[in-house]
Amino acid sequence: MKLYEYMIRRLILLVFVLFAVSVVVFYLVRGFPTGIAPWAAYIHSRMTSEQIEAVIKAHGFDRPIWEQYFYWLRDTFSGDWGLTGTWAQGRPANEVFFNHFPYTVELSVVATIWTVTIGLLLGIVSAVRNNRLPDHISRVIALAGYSTPSYWFGFVLQLVFFYYFSLWNLPHLPSSMASDLARPNITGMPILDGLLTWNLAYVSDEFLHLILPSFSLAFISLGFLARIVRASMLEVLRQDYVTMARSKGLKERVVIYRHALKNALIPAVTLTGIFFASLLGGAMITEYVFSWPGVGQQALRAIFQGDSNFILVYSLVFAAITVVANLVVDIIYAFLDPRIKY
Amino acid sequence: MLGQSVDVRKGEWEARLADIKYMLHLFRKNPLVMTGTSTSLFFIILALLANIIVDPNLAYPEGYSNSMYPFERKYMWSADHIVNWGSGIALYQGSESFYLGTDGWGRDLLKMMVLAIPTDLYNATIITIVAAVFGTLLGAVAGYVGGIFDEAVLRITDVFFAFPGLVLALVFAAMFGRTIETLRLAIILVWWPPYVRLMRGQVLSEKEKPYVEALKALGAGHSRILLRHIMLNTIYPILVQATMDFGGVILTFSALMFLGFSPSPALPELGNLAADGYGHLFDAPWVMLFPGLTMLIISLAFNLLGDGLRDILDPRLRR
Repeated sequence: MKLYEYMIRRLILLVFVLFAVSVVVFYLVRGFPTGIAPWAAYIHSRMTSEQIEAVIKAHGFDRPIWEQYFYWLRDTFSGDWGLTGTWAQGRPANEVFFNHFPYTVELSVVATIWTVTIGLLLGIVSAVRNNRLPDHISRVIALAGYSTPSYWFGFVLQLVFFYYFSLWNLPHLPSSMASDLARPNITGMPILDGLLTWNLAYVSDEFLHLILPSFSLAFISLGFLARIVRASMLEVLRQDYVTMARSKGLKERVVIYRHALKNALIPAVTLTGIFFASLLGGAMITEYVFSWPGVGQQALRAIFQGDSNFILVYSLVFAAITVVANLVVDIIYAFLDPRIKY
Repeated sequence: MLGQSVDVRKGEWEARLADIKYMLHLFRKNPLVMTGTSTSLFFIILALLANIIVDPNLAYPEGYSNSMYPFERKYMWSADHIVNWGSGIALYQGSESFYLGTDGWGRDLLKMMVLAIPTDLYNATIITIVAAVFGTLLGAVAGYVGGIFDEAVLRITDVFFAFPGLVLALVFAAMFGRTIETLRLAIILVWWPPYVRLMRGQVLSEKEKPYVEALKALGAGHSRILLRHIMLNTIYPILVQATMDFGGVILTFSALMFLGFSPSPALPELGNLAADGYGHLFDAPWVMLFPGLTMLIISLAFNLLGDGLRDILDPRLRR
């Protein structure tokens, strides 16, 4: 199979996945008999029953579920994703989503940078010092990473680096939220905008706000990356061409960084791509803990309010991101390792 | 003929026994795995004895008469405790001693954590077993049968893999209402797909091996080949995955509880206890700190166990 055939297959899969996800989520949020009433997000306690009736009529919640789905599909294709409930002042769901999305992207990028730098270093060190102290330490860090409750770790970071550091008069990090300094809005990406207008005060403040949440996210996955890098590094170091490089009299440093690392990195690339995609969708708890204004926190509110329109946008965008990220990773994989054929 | 087959059986069991003995030997040699195993065992025993060690009625102060309703010691730390949290902490001067302070109901946090451990372990066990068995069977059949069924199962798992992490579980739990059963179901819904992929891959490579062909030539039925032979040969990675998942399931379960899907705010469950400390991080840090730390230790213990199991059960990683 050629690469483009593979890509076409995957894009067809994307259409199928989006359809299936939308059906499942639509049924759960709109049609499920015992669930939160679909109109619950649009009403408040002081409304009369006539007003509630009007809300139900206006959003079409009184129609049969398949008819609702059909109308939703039609509106979605014409770019109208429906309105959010009162929790987001009834703005269009896609507008709410894309207003908050840049914050999530920013957080995910910084968290991925943390993960890759620390994870790679740990992985290389533990492969080179295999089964000695550095290896054991990195194994414990790795396992501790994915054994840590993410919300708890976020709070511990806040407690230590914000509360106790300020109590002891040490320089402390901001505990939650994004920077509230004024910034221009050009691209919508907070730090990027700050850099473009050379507003260094904003950039540094936003960066300080990012440190704790991004590290809390990265800690959970960097160990996993370190273990993968270690395993593939160990396998590469056993191969003939590495022995060859050593017997040529190359320094160990050159052998490891110039010869072995390149091939050992291939699995790490895959993992990083998938990790980044899952961060874009899965940072909910961390965003909640740090009150970070990203989409995850909004989705959590939407779920608690039973706001079907926002939940649908959120799940569909992330289903698309996941499938596309997997595709991109596969393509990069084929590019990095010419032996792989699709 | 009969005698011969019995001999073969006996040899087979001896070989297995020797293998297990060798594994136990490797087990004992690895300090990390030993730590993980003994810690896991400790928590399992604690879970079994929890209701004997601590009176379960302590969890529900409503059950007590008004004079004992312990609201006056809400979020307090014993005044004579060795640990000092700094300023802004409410100190308890009374006669009772609380090793880990009290929570928002004025209950002893340590006792509540002991009561919480069986809830967490029990639910995580059910979730892991159901998800693993369901996913494994589905994956095994899909891999063995192949064809349209295989394709259909794979596409369904694709859909599940495309959901962002917790969202499906959260939506599901929100829609079904707040009961423990709903939460279990919600997490199972998210955890089974990896087992399908894992088992399917194993079965695909295993079913091409000569012994399967030999079994077919001997006239063994499909279910016998799949259940008695192929699955027994491919069960180790599943076992390792399930052990490693156990820690993750506890974390997910308690995270859902923490986010507010708990059936009752007074339910002793680690995530629920930690949620009580959400608004009191700076004036009662212990309410968040200790339940989370316990969760970390339990999860780490099972992960160490799983990590060690993988190294030991996989012959390529033994040395």
